[in-house]
Formats: sequence, C-alpha cells, structure tokens
Amino acid sequence: MMALVPAKAVQPPMPLPLPGFEHVRRSWNSQFESYAARILPGEFYVTKNKEGVATTLGSCISACIRDKVLGIGGMNHFMLPATEFSDLASLKASSLSDVTRFGNYAMEHLINEIMRNGGRRQNLEVKVFGGGRIISGMTDVGLANITFVRDYLNMEGLPVVAEDVGDIYPRMVIFFPATGVARVKRLRSLHNNVIIDEERRYIDSIKKQPVSGEIELF
Amino acid sequence: MNTTPSDLVRDISGLVTLPDVYLRINRLIEDPNSSSADIAKAVSQDASFTVKLLKLANSAVYNFSSSIDTVAKAVTLIGTSQIRSLALSLSVASSFEGMPNDLVSMRNFWKHSLLCALAARLLCKQARRCDADALFTAGLLHDIGELIIFNRLPGQAKDALMLVLDSQEEVSVPEAERQIIGFDHSAVGGALARQWNLPTVLQECIAWHHDPASAEKHPREVALIHIANTLAQLAEVDSIELDDAPAIDPHAWEVIGLDPDVVEEVVRAAQEEFAEIEQLFLGQ
Repeated sequence: MMALVPAKAVQPPMPLPLPGFEHVRRSWNSQFESYAARILPGEFYVTKNKEGVATTLGSCISACIRDKVLGIGGMNHFMLPATEFSDLASLKASSLSDVTRFGNYAMEHLINEIMRNGGRRQNLEVKVFGGGRIISGMTDVGLANITFVRDYLNMEGLPVVAEDVGDIYPRMVIFFPATGVARVKRLRSLHNNVIIDEERRYIDSIKKQPVSGEIELF
Repeated sequence: MNTTPSDLVRDISGLVTLPDVYLRINRLIEDPNSSSADIAKAVSQDASFTVKLLKLANSAVYNFSSSIDTVAKAVTLIGTSQIRSLALSLSVASSFEGMPNDLVSMRNFWKHSLLCALAARLLCKQARRCDADALFTAGLLHDIGELIIFNRLPGQAKDALMLVLDSQEEVSVPEAERQIIGFDHSAVGGALARQWNLPTVLQECIAWHHDPASAEKHPREVALIHIANTLAQLAEVDSIELDDAPAIDPHAWEVIGLDPDVVEEVVRAAQEEFAEIEQLFLGQ
C-alpha cells in the first residue's frame, strides 16, 4: 500500500541554542529537514534539540558524543598541533605533554558541556570521524590525530559505536545528537585546498596561545 | 562594470593557446586535397604527441587486437577526425600550465577531467552511435572554465567553494559561482570554446554539462557528458552510490537511452583505465 506523499516540511522556527553557543552559525538543511549548526576547526556545539551539527574535515578529527538515553550531545573539531610527531611511538610518549593539550581540551570541553546540560557519563556513546591524509607526501597528521582520539576514549572508558577515519578523502559530517544518526560524505579533491587553509589557520592560532589555562577534569 | 565570461577569456588569449599539432591536423582535415598520409606526417612532426598517441592506442582504452606500432597504422585504425580530437586531448593539460591557481592542484583537476573523459567513452560504447573520441575530448575539457575562474577571480572562487561547504552542499558548485560571481564555470568554458572555434559538439558539452536541457544541436552528447561528470565524481571518491555525487537529471538517461544500471560497471572501468593511462595526460 502506497503511503500518501507527505507535504513538504514547513520550516519550523529555529530552536534556541544552549547558553554559550549563540555565536555558532546555523542554517536549514532541506535534505534532513532540520536545522544544522556548522562548526569550524577549534569550535564545538552541544544541543538538547532535534537539530544537527555539521562540519568538514581534512586531517582534523570530530568526536560526536551523546547521551543515548536523553539525546543530549554534540560535536567537536580539533587537531593536534604536533606535525613533527609523525610516528606513533613518539606521539604516545608525549601523550601527557603539551602536544596533546589541545586534543584533551577539545574532548573535555565537549564532554563537560554535555554533562553540564544533564547528560550522564554512563550513557555516553561516541562516533569518530576524520583524520584523512589529504596532503600526499607529507607526514601523516591525520594518523596522529586518530591515534590520539582512540587512546583518549580508551583511557576514559567511553565506547566508540562507529568510526570512519583515515584514507585520502576530506569528509563532510552531519550528526544528530537526539537520534545518534551520523551521515558522512566523502568530498572530492576540488575542496581540498579550502579545507587545508581552514585547518592551517586554526593550527596557527593555537600555536600562538600561551601554555597555560588548565582545564578542570571530571 | 561587471565582468562577463567573454571578458575573462579575452584576457587569457596570450596565456593559453591551442596546441600547434591540433591546429595543423585541423587545417589538413579541412583541406579536401590532403590525405591521411599528410595527417600521419603532421603527427610525426610532434615527437611527444607521437609517443603518447602510440601508448594510448595500445592501451586497454582502445583494446585493438594487434599492436599499433606506426603513426600511419594509428591514423588508419583510429580515423583522421579522431586523431584531431586526440591531439587536443593529449596536450590540453600542458596548454593550461600558464594558468596556475591556489585552489586545486593541477593533478587533482586533471584527474577529475580524465575520469570524466573515460566515463564518457565507456558510456558512448554502450549507448552506440556516437563519436567516442570526441566525447573523450569533451570530458577532458568540460571544466576548463574552472581553471580560468580560479586563476582570474581567486577570491570569489574561494568564497564560492566556502559557500558550498557552509551549506553542507545544499548549494552546488555552479549555483555558488552564479551567486557570488554572477556566472559559473560552464559559461566561462563555453566562451573559451567559442573563441577557440572548437567543434560545436565540444562547445555545447562544455557550456551545458550542468544544464543538459539547454543543449541545442547536440543534446545526446551533452546528456552523456552530464552523466559522465557525476560518474567521474563517484570514481574520485570511490563510490558507486549515486547519492554520493551531484544528482543526474533523470531526463539525461532517457536522452542517451541507458539507465542507472550501468553506473557500477562504468565507474569501475574508468578507475582501472585511469590507472593505466594517467601518466600520458598528467605527467608533463
């Protein structure tokens, strides 16, 4: 039996952002019939609403974390500034040092913000995307980022329910914390340089930040 | 005053020119007194083209039963007007070396173009009744307007690509270009093809590959390049799911008399042939 074709979804009013996320740009996505926030390298976004969080990733990583019972969650977007740490052994040896500081910061900020808004640690589940090797012939920055985030989640005991990482493609990711649905699309190489530029600007900006500002740990 | 596509291509006439070997062969084909031996001679005068032509003629793309070891044999088996198409195909990448840009590497740009050319050839074999070598050239040239926009209007071109990413691809590349620049790369490529007096089938394939319904004289070839462009994008991201690339105008399938069942076979074959012949086109 054929269902009636539903009328085209009327665009509802944009849900209010949680405090602290008012600056993140959001727009209507007609494919998912939902609003989606677009985050840039170094940013993150947490929501309790039925809306998406989207980003584009080159060698950066996004962790999508949510409370699977309450549907509160969000996404971050980061990379480690340590381009010199191409091999895994030296990355691991440095895991408590300055190198991983920005990774720890990005992960903890996201988790803390989810919990501040009512999420419970025992309900958290994680999806991980990115870490592409989009510049050929250079040290594999993407791989260092993947190694970092896997180690971090393992150490924190947070379950990874899906991942799509590595390979040579940039990715476009959209994640819906309310349902846990994530859609990843590989992007064609036409977009490589724009994405590389965006990531480079982020790396340059964090390199200039002072090595202070400890983050509180749960 | 606003820039137009014609302004942009008028600007570049000193930087990018049609290859000599193409112009020579073109003159011979239009001369009723010339023979295929004259054309073979014109080919032989260009050593680099000769080497590439023979390598290509002996690759899986042509799949001839015997080996092609002389230019004369290549001209006889492939055909004179097809050799003219190949003269353009095999040198267009070096013709555009004078138009560098910071947005896309030349290797990545020509990879997409060559995958589109191979997909077009493969679709052509299945659809029948079309000139596979002309469509191959159309596939290689379909995005040349992009190189001109990237070189001449780099800031606006970058803003257009940012708009595509910011919208999560709700806005396509040509739509973004029209919003920010006022026209898209297919209009610029079309203007260059007209200025160069390329055959009308190439002019239309370049100008209308995003809008196949606008084709006038060559709707079948334009529809085929429109489809080949999407299949090339699938080959690039190694997928056979049509959702992973820009939508194909459903009417385009009707026009060429094929259906989406061919997607997987064409994408896979284009990937394999690309690996075999990419050096002939990209290794300058």
